[in-house]
Amino acid sequence: MVSSGLPGGEQVRDMLAAQAAQAGGGFTFKGPAQPVLSSGFRALDRLLPAGGVRRGSLLEWLAATEASGAAALACAVACRMAAAQAGGAILVVDRRGLFHPPAVLPWLEEACGGRGEALAGRLVVARPNRDDDELWAIDQALRCAGVAAVLAWPQRVHPTAMRRWQLAAKAGGAVGLLVRPQAAQRESSWAEARVCVWGALGGALEGSGTDSLSLRRLRLALVGGPWLGAGHMEERTADIVLDLTRGRDGALLERDGALRERDGALRSLPPQGAARQEGRAVCRAS
Amino acid sequence: MTIWLPRWPVQRRLRESPELRYAPLFVCRHEPRGVMRVVAWAWAVPARGESGASRSQPAERGRPAARIVAGMSLAEALAVLAQSDGPRACHRAEIVADDPVGDREGIEEVARWCRRFAPLVAVESAGRPECVHVDVTGTAEFFGGEETLVRTAVWTLQARGIHARAAIADTIGAGWAAARHTDFRPPPAGHPAGHPALPTRHRRCAIVPPADQMTALAHLPAAALRLESDCLARLREVGVDTIGGVGKLPRKSLTSRFGPQLARRLAQCSGTLAEPLETPCGGELPHASQAFDFPLLLRELTQEALGALVQRLVQKCVAPLAAAGKGVTALQVRLESSRSWAGQEGAREACAPTVIDVGLFRPSAAVGHLAELIRLRMARAHLPREISGMVVDVVAVGPVAARQRMLFGEVAEATASQVGLLLDRLSGRLGRSSVFEPKLLADAQPEHAWLAVPPAASGRLSTGGRQGSKMRACALPVGGRFPERRPICLLPRPVRLEAVAVVPDGPPVRFQYEGQTHDIAQARGPERIETAWWRGPCVRRDYYVVDTSAGDRYWLFRRLQDGGWFLHGRFA
Repeated sequence: MVSSGLPGGEQVRDMLAAQAAQAGGGFTFKGPAQPVLSSGFRALDRLLPAGGVRRGSLLEWLAATEASGAAALACAVACRMAAAQAGGAILVVDRRGLFHPPAVLPWLEEACGGRGEALAGRLVVARPNRDDDELWAIDQALRCAGVAAVLAWPQRVHPTAMRRWQLAAKAGGAVGLLVRPQAAQRESSWAEARVCVWGALGGALEGSGTDSLSLRRLRLALVGGPWLGAGHMEERTADIVLDLTRGRDGALLERDGALRERDGALRSLPPQGAARQEGRAVCRAS
Repeated sequence: MTIWLPRWPVQRRLRESPELRYAPLFVCRHEPRGVMRVVAWAWAVPARGESGASRSQPAERGRPAARIVAGMSLAEALAVLAQSDGPRACHRAEIVADDPVGDREGIEEVARWCRRFAPLVAVESAGRPECVHVDVTGTAEFFGGEETLVRTAVWTLQARGIHARAAIADTIGAGWAAARHTDFRPPPAGHPAGHPALPTRHRRCAIVPPADQMTALAHLPAAALRLESDCLARLREVGVDTIGGVGKLPRKSLTSRFGPQLARRLAQCSGTLAEPLETPCGGELPHASQAFDFPLLLRELTQEALGALVQRLVQKCVAPLAAAGKGVTALQVRLESSRSWAGQEGAREACAPTVIDVGLFRPSAAVGHLAELIRLRMARAHLPREISGMVVDVVAVGPVAARQRMLFGEVAEATASQVGLLLDRLSGRLGRSSVFEPKLLADAQPEHAWLAVPPAASGRLSTGGRQGSKMRACALPVGGRFPERRPICLLPRPVRLEAVAVVPDGPPVRFQYEGQTHDIAQARGPERIETAWWRGPCVRRDYYVVDTSAGDRYWLFRRLQDGGWFLHGRFA
């Protein structure tokens, strides 16, 4: 039997993986590693390639529709980033003039520990009137070491501008959160991760004592980012619940709801002597 | 020269938000018991078929303009507006909170800009200044005479979007009177003496003959003497309506009969009592200039050479300030230019300089930072073809918060400092009104639930905001609100929808938006939002948070007046 001498598919994949590893594991993670922070959502952390949000990187949120909840999730992550950095500010580059701060300011207060007076200067909005001003403002904000996160809705972004933003974020340490339409998935990107966001029905949690108004269920899919090897190429999805009251992971409420449900079951026991005392003891222990 | 900026509070808002030109705009102040009092109002560009109430004269279209005067309550003013322009005009009215501090800052900025006409400028010393005084003694000839100067002042301000009237007189009082009554012409020979002349035609400029101002102004109403209402009422009781009539009264008894103000104002107007200019802009502030031997073409100057020149001039200005522990909060760069005279070889005529204003959110003594801000503004400004000199003038200063630096543990302070530099850069290029910090307000109406304040002023909300929100109320601590009921994206104007509700006054089950039909899977509400009648146009809405079958979440409301459905926000 004569071999053709050409490597098989698996061999080619292994060779490319070895060369990528030899070259440093891809173009994104060269240089000193930036710290990775939790996004505040466990499912999202598991979805992101770095296991969280890497400071000095870009994240693209591809909104399936204009009301899918992508911007709300990006705002919640931005509040988390601001809380993790001492004095870190969120700069919102609002080219369209639609950003409504009353939906986000309570989240920022919650993330910063409930100190309303400490919020001075933590959320700044810039409203450029032109597209090139928007690109420039995002670039400047990402370069600033005092900015923890930059939230923007750029519609048309040239890859060169995106690359400039990536380098600016890397230099300044800010996290760029770019909310874009899903159609932008076809464009090339320098973001560390591209997450597509769909809204889903059924936000209410059973027994949590919350209504579907304060919770929003979102479906996420990682649709792009750096190539980290063959194991990361398949599409990954996750479901999260966003607590719109506090701007954090609704899974925490789910746990609290389960506890409350058990507490309620214990309270419904007949109030008789030892049984009632036992119930209280169990409640305290829980 | 006195430059009058009529209805300055309204003009300032219209400059910041030009879209307000198409609606009746009321600047109101809050009074006890919730009464809102009109400070100023205008309707710059009325819609077709409506009468344009910004004109104090009867409208050109033959319909009288609404007779709304400052001091009316808002409800009364809206009633007058509805009577003259119909109820739809009231629904379109925009109500903006009064901001006297911002108004004064704005007029001081105009005063600084007027330094191009003469170095000595001042803002009128009144509670609500609307006039800028410029001492043009000896400088009028540089502009081709007084007539040319006063026209240049009016039309260059007009080019900046500021409606102004101006007059040149010997005294401040005479200039003030003439600038406010440029429409008034001397009465004809047969006009009854003692009665004020009627306005004859629209004029924006006036020149009061030197040394004869009392005769020239005799036909103007007595209010042109800057008198209070009590004094005017007493003059009216004795049948004196004009300045000429006041001048005929015996001087000795003026004070005892009408109070000290009348005699003082009359003496100031006639020039027998000096009235010094109060220059708030600080003439002692440093400035640096560089004049060239011959005009330089800007296109031949490299960016590096221009940057080095700006940096050198800024360094000269900042050095004495830094030694005193101060920094620059506003500066002005003037590019002097000239043009050659046609037909005369080598003869050149000075042109109006190009002025670039730079403002900072916090005082800075960093030369590089200031030079960068100037470069950013120059990149967006319309520069002359050639320049014959450059002047950097410090307009306002403030103390620089400097203290001994620590080696470790100053992360937060360093962060705030870097953010401050970033905000200066952003506002330098995008404009100061485009960079702001949101503050929540205790207002149920979503459009007015927050206020945009300058970042440096975020700690002192009482000074008022600039844009974003129109009604100012007390600041609320963050929290205690319902963020889950407020969308991330709020449309500036609600969009009318075609919606279907099964139950009258119930939630919708389907609506159409941008050509698509959305079936509603879940609707929560209503959240009723109503505004009080004294706030102006009444708002009565039932809001619903709806989830569509596709998983999208919208914020709709039903207008209770007519049952129409509107989309107001997206939970994006």
